[in-house]
Amino acid sequence: MKRLFWMLYVVQIALVLVLSDAIAAGISVDAGLTPAEDRWILRTQMRYMERDDDPTSMNRKMDRYTLNIVLAYGLRRNLTLVLKQPVVHQEISMAGSTSKDTGLANLSLLAKYGIYRRNTPEHTFGVAMTFGLELPTGADAFTSETWDVNSGLYMSWRRGSWASDFNIAYAWNGLADESSRGTNPGDELSLDWALAHQFSIGGEAEVALAPVLEVSYKNIGQDRLYSHDVADTGETILYISPGIKFTKSSLILEALAQIPVWQEQEGSQLKRSTGGFVGIRFMF
Amino acid sequence: MRNRFLLVLVSSFWIGVIGCTVANRGVITEPAKQDFEIRIYEVLGMDCPGCHGGLEKLVRKIPAVQEAKANWEKRQLVVTVRPGAELNDEDIYDAIGRANFTVGKRIK
Repeated sequence: MKRLFWMLYVVQIALVLVLSDAIAAGISVDAGLTPAEDRWILRTQMRYMERDDDPTSMNRKMDRYTLNIVLAYGLRRNLTLVLKQPVVHQEISMAGSTSKDTGLANLSLLAKYGIYRRNTPEHTFGVAMTFGLELPTGADAFTSETWDVNSGLYMSWRRGSWASDFNIAYAWNGLADESSRGTNPGDELSLDWALAHQFSIGGEAEVALAPVLEVSYKNIGQDRLYSHDVADTGETILYISPGIKFTKSSLILEALAQIPVWQEQEGSQLKRSTGGFVGIRFMF
Repeated sequence: MRNRFLLVLVSSFWIGVIGCTVANRGVITEPAKQDFEIRIYEVLGMDCPGCHGGLEKLVRKIPAVQEAKANWEKRQLVVTVRPGAELNDEDIYDAIGRANFTVGKRIK
């Protein structure tokens, strides 16, 4: 057991070193499969996002660290409830000076419903949909100041040691405005395709390692104010994201690098750089 | 600086979680097999080491079950029946369904 502990620790250190300069979206493999009834999942992720390549002469740069804390519970075999609270630390540099801020971002409540699941000796196929609500925490600069609704459709397919997922999600932002500014944030469309291959390690079927490759498209609409588009908002990004997932019984370690291969921002926004995350999932 | 910050933060958390997991993990002693009835079921849909934990948890809640151990590679669930107890297969099948898996055949 001690050997395993140190092995996990070394893997974790390696992942941190490799990915400490990255940002990411979550590994989406298995998103279409709901967990067992009465199953608890505690998940944390440390993400890093960097924005630079300032098109203006102000030489702006932004570093954002997000610690996502997620708790999920299998209320029924096909219904999972999820609670997510991000904690954000952000540093913005501009014209030689740097400002730092830390606080809570929006609190998310999410329900995931398994629409279809087929298990055969050859393959497993599952379809699930989600319906979520983002609540403004109201405490600081990272909350959206609006109530946002999101929904997604997730499909997971597994055959032998191969797994593939296709996900589509849409967020209707700014349904109920809590701010006095009246800005309506742009909606978000996300498409994601993932492929993974799982290797079993050891003879007791307790440990597995799975390299993952994801292709993600994200479109964020421009904010609206008094029926007019807000300048310097809205963007479209295409990512290719290699990652890895290590599973040991009820413990999953995961990491993903997110490489923007194409992006277009409205106005004079900063470009997104390569980012990533490291995360841990504990199931009980 | 950024790398060190991440390294320290994430390392500390993971060391804590993994350490607690290791420390709280009890030693399961194998019962003498001749004293217990062993049943083996085929289960479809288990595809990774993390999948079968939910099934084992549900099966262990059945009063007549002494111990349950699933193997995703063999697609098998091994159930040890509590001595003197009557275990209904339907209870096992119900647990397999609630874990989002599909019952195959009873192997033993």
